[in-house]
Amino acid sequence: MLSDSPIWRIKYLPKSLNEICGRNDVKERLKNFIDDRNFPHLLFVGSKGIGKTTAADLFSKEFLGKFYYANSKVVYANVPLTSEEMKQARSEAYVSTSKIGSIAGKKITTPALIRIKIKPFIQLKVLGDVPFKILIVKDFDSLGSNQQAFRRLMEIYGTNCRMVLITTKVSKIIDPIMSRCQVFFISQVDFHSFEELISTIAERETLRIDEETIRTLYKITAGKLSNAIDLLQICSISGNDIDVDKLYENLSNSKNDMIKSLLIMCFKGDFRKARELSRKIQSSYKFSSQEMFQIMLTELAKLPLSTYSRTTLINFIAEADFRAIDGRDTDIQISHLLAKICQFSEVL
Amino acid sequence: MVAQKTEKMPWVEKYRPKFTRDMAFPTAKVGKQKVDLIEDLKKFVVSFFKEKEKLNEANRQIKTHNRTHEEKEHQEEKKLPLDKAAVLLEGPPGIGKTTIAYALANDLNMEVIETNASDTRTKGALESKLRETTKSRGIMDFVVQSKKKLILIDEIDGLYGVTDRGAVPTILSLIETTQFPIIMCSNEYKQSLKSLYNKIKRYEVNSLPDEEVMKITRKIIVKEHISGISEKELELIIEKNKGDLRGVINDLQGISQGSLDKNTKELILNLNRDSTEEIFSLIKNLFQNVNTLREARDVTNKSDVNYNFLYKWINENLTSYIRLNSEIANAYENLSLADEIFGRIRKNQYWSLLPYFYDLFAGGVVLSRKHRTPDERFHRISFPRFTSTGFFSLSANERLVVEKIQKKYKISDIEVVQEFIPFLKLLSGTSRKQLKELSDWFEFDASEKKLLK
Repeated sequence: MLSDSPIWRIKYLPKSLNEICGRNDVKERLKNFIDDRNFPHLLFVGSKGIGKTTAADLFSKEFLGKFYYANSKVVYANVPLTSEEMKQARSEAYVSTSKIGSIAGKKITTPALIRIKIKPFIQLKVLGDVPFKILIVKDFDSLGSNQQAFRRLMEIYGTNCRMVLITTKVSKIIDPIMSRCQVFFISQVDFHSFEELISTIAERETLRIDEETIRTLYKITAGKLSNAIDLLQICSISGNDIDVDKLYENLSNSKNDMIKSLLIMCFKGDFRKARELSRKIQSSYKFSSQEMFQIMLTELAKLPLSTYSRTTLINFIAEADFRAIDGRDTDIQISHLLAKICQFSEVL
Repeated sequence: MVAQKTEKMPWVEKYRPKFTRDMAFPTAKVGKQKVDLIEDLKKFVVSFFKEKEKLNEANRQIKTHNRTHEEKEHQEEKKLPLDKAAVLLEGPPGIGKTTIAYALANDLNMEVIETNASDTRTKGALESKLRETTKSRGIMDFVVQSKKKLILIDEIDGLYGVTDRGAVPTILSLIETTQFPIIMCSNEYKQSLKSLYNKIKRYEVNSLPDEEVMKITRKIIVKEHISGISEKELELIIEKNKGDLRGVINDLQGISQGSLDKNTKELILNLNRDSTEEIFSLIKNLFQNVNTLREARDVTNKSDVNYNFLYKWINENLTSYIRLNSEIANAYENLSLADEIFGRIRKNQYWSLLPYFYDLFAGGVVLSRKHRTPDERFHRISFPRFTSTGFFSLSANERLVVEKIQKKYKISDIEVVQEFIPFLKLLSGTSRKQLKELSDWFEFDASEKKLLK
């Protein structure tokens, strides 16, 4: 079924640990775990889109074998609860008064995400002939201070369920969690394996691509395979010959590009159009104001500006972000920033 | 003397129906079933006394039994089920919930004991007021047949928070031991009173239809010999009160009594009209006529528009009145600060900051404009079209698409929206064939396909 996918990044998704491109050291260690039928809690660290989740998922699949579906779960820590889940969390916010003991009727202080998504899974017994369940928590760093709740969970339910925590930033993981996990640094794919994979894809899809172009592809996508394959597919639509020019032509990191064009529109001084665009971006990408400001900050560094104006603009963004912490209407806060940049562009 | 007294009474009291037959009685429902409210209540009161009589008789026997027997052979005294001892009327203000209770008491020749939100309803206060009357029957009862009583606990939703702590258990125990039927009134469903709601019968009283209100209003106009109120104004009053008869009568009295100049009359007519029309005129007023901070304050103080919306309207319409970038920047400086302050007020309950919020979003925005465009009178005022929740949430349609994608490709919601769907859009935008292939594979239907365009 998967091989039929019209989307290459799904079509060429590895189906076993062996198929994972490059990174042999990591694969070796994971395979040893599978042979031993045992492993400690794991912490996967690596930059975005590098294949951490894929590796974790394939690992748990191979470890659990046919009991995979009953015994594994992926939790996205940065996705907020839906309204139904919130409702459920609210209805279970208190310990039942029919229980005996001093806790009866008391409020439960466990964070809702852990209460709703994680506890029910790790408390249930293992099904089938496997030593324990596997819980994969993605974007673990976005839990913030709620990481503390995991300390005890990892100890109490450790024998029943092992966790694979996935994060992009080690610095955001608290020490007690670090000490409970074995850390895996998932590195970028080395060029040799990258070339191999791209060549096989090119062969299967009848593309003509030379080594020079692959090298450029490797460079501009920073070794992120899914991005590279996406780019390749976009390029392939307009013909089977792929060269460097074509790559650059089709290269668009659309999320960041939209924000960049928003900034440029502000520099032109048209506030109304800029606001329209910002609303469009907000509604299609579902950004929070914080995310918008973050991307603006990274895009700002790429624009050709003087040092003075760059620092002034950073000042604006910082101020707007600071206000948005307590503000209730993201649109007003973002419009505030846009208006200020518009004004600044006139002064220049 | 008496005539003079009625002259000075508020009309609401003066025209409060004495008996149920005089009432414009509202319809009600229990759960989803429609019921005849007055008939039901009458039945409730009558059956209460009947049951209570039986119960008291039985309890008296139990008591004598207990007195003559050892402790281990004691029997427990019987209690009336809670839903037979009390009912709750729930509905918007001014539709006659309190009036029903009084009229009912008059019909059945009873006396009403009332407690409402103006009494502090802590445990102690409630008990001291009601306990005696509910538990015992006065000494005189043995001599003369005194009037039966009806207990009315009004505005029960006003009973929450720190000052009223423990009131719900008190009311529950009161209902258990009461000697008289209890009617409770409430404006809205309160989560904190859920334990109470579960145990008694809850009538949802509907608001009065406008024709019914009109009929009564006309009666009053004839009786009071009111002149100088046009048909249109009457309709306006009734429309803005939305079935609140008490509000209509109050407004009527306000307009027709005393010597009112035209401005005050207009004010009464426009008060409380939380409609879009009023917001329109308010925004126009703010941007076109206000020149000083004082005027801005005047405008916001007089209006009763919910400030929750108002500053969003200002955000939406700001650009059509303010054109220069420097002025827009100043206006937004104030508006965003107002928004931040509002956020803090809501978060930490710093209500003392509210005056700044008002001044910043109204005066602060309008007065940052120095140049006026000549054609500003013709600007159209638009609704706040854009509402962002500030955190990641999906509409129902989007969620369907996301779930369909996740079935085939394991990826988080945020990644789908921010990375994968833009790529799909790019891909499907190139040719129809691609779009068809994609939607076939993910099994999108027609409406979901639209999201990819």
